[in-house]
Amino acid sequence: MIACIAVPGFELRAALRRAPSLALRPSALAPEAGTEPLIGPVTAAADALGVRPGMRLGEALATCPGLVLVERDPAAAEQAWEEILRSLEDAGFAVDPAEPGCVFFETRGVERLYGGLEPALQRALAAVGPGWDPQAGAAERRFAALAAATVARPGQVIVVSGDRLQDFLAPLPLSLLPLERERYAELEALGVRSLGQLAGLPGAAVAERLGPDGRRAWGLARGGAAAKIRGRRPPAELFEAIEFPEAVGNELTLRRAFSALLDTLLARPERRDRFVRKVAISARLVGGGSWRRTTTLRDPTVDRERIRAALAPKLAELPTPIVELRLELVALTESDGQQLELLAAGAEDRTRLREGLRQVRASTGSGSVCTVVEVAPWSRIPEARALFVPRDD
Amino acid sequence: MVAYPGGARAVRSAGRLNEPRPARVEVNFDGSPWQVNHQAVELVREEWRVLDRWWTEEPVSRRYFEVVLESGENTVVFRDEECECWFTQRGA
Repeated sequence: MIACIAVPGFELRAALRRAPSLALRPSALAPEAGTEPLIGPVTAAADALGVRPGMRLGEALATCPGLVLVERDPAAAEQAWEEILRSLEDAGFAVDPAEPGCVFFETRGVERLYGGLEPALQRALAAVGPGWDPQAGAAERRFAALAAATVARPGQVIVVSGDRLQDFLAPLPLSLLPLERERYAELEALGVRSLGQLAGLPGAAVAERLGPDGRRAWGLARGGAAAKIRGRRPPAELFEAIEFPEAVGNELTLRRAFSALLDTLLARPERRDRFVRKVAISARLVGGGSWRRTTTLRDPTVDRERIRAALAPKLAELPTPIVELRLELVALTESDGQQLELLAAGAEDRTRLREGLRQVRASTGSGSVCTVVEVAPWSRIPEARALFVPRDD
Repeated sequence: MVAYPGGARAVRSAGRLNEPRPARVEVNFDGSPWQVNHQAVELVREEWRVLDRWWTEEPVSRRYFEVVLESGENTVVFRDEECECWFTQRGA
């Protein structure tokens, strides 16, 4: 079975840990800077007053003038989520996190450990912690497990057996499907309000009307495809942070601090000569809240200049001055060596290359050596940009 | 009779560079790949769509993913929305 643990409104809950008194008042997660002004998850008090997640900010404030907007705190959310994942891993669950607040795992291995499916899921809920009000669901399909966890009450476990799958999904709302807002409206206008109604339509007709996304949603409404769950590889725990005596917004200072952190971090013995694959930079903002950017390097490296070139420009995106800068090596490679080039490119090699090509041509026949000719380098279709043309001269 | 020396060359046709190759891809419920050619996807670096030639009889509609595989290999895969098949591609 596939199990899912869901913590609804996780980002809001994580942000409220700094201001727990707001949890009982009508409050909502503030819209993300630079995006559409849509509010995030809301507290129960706000929900009772008619404020819904995803509402436009203006509409939400008109509905509830006393609504408190809680600043986003992505670094705190990520840290809290990582703690939860590690706690689940410590309890023996090989977790596959989908997003902060939603994690999947395969129960087969742990059922015997805890004496059955439900005790295992209860153990998982306990590992997350009752303070987060986690909900658990299990089914043979990933989407069905997610649906079960979403409709469960805090602390409740819902197990959907294979023969009950269709009956369980049928009355559930369409909002469980990963669709755009316009699609929900389109489906509701057609009188389709539940997963069962959508699943009952012919697949081809849904695809024709709603496109590939609709077709995918139709597949999920019927239970979704069988997919395996693969436990994640726990991230590295290497980080360095610097706290500033006063708020800093000057980019030059920030870049210097970043360079100092990078040098210290790369010199840490725990790195054990491994290369850096994924790196994150985060900051605590002066007015509260946090900021975080993660980058996966195209080629794993320990070259300071390359890491600096990839991350330092992101410092310009900081919205306000900061009081703390933190650099993390999120993922390191297993290997600690790199294959060097066989031939270094240089003018003296061209003669040898030409001679080599002549020999290849002589032994394999004409047409074996080609040259690349750009025909439409501006094309968005990669195979339309260039041709390789046989070259015999 | 002497054969025209350019004849052999004239019939050779040019090939396309970075032609897509069929791939075996397993996807999550949101359509993103979690396995490519039997290798697990470590992370999805980027995702984009290409819609082109919609005015012709051979429209191009692709959903691209740049992924890092378990082995550390970077690769680009896309789902052709027209034929509903997956391909890998270099140069994307």
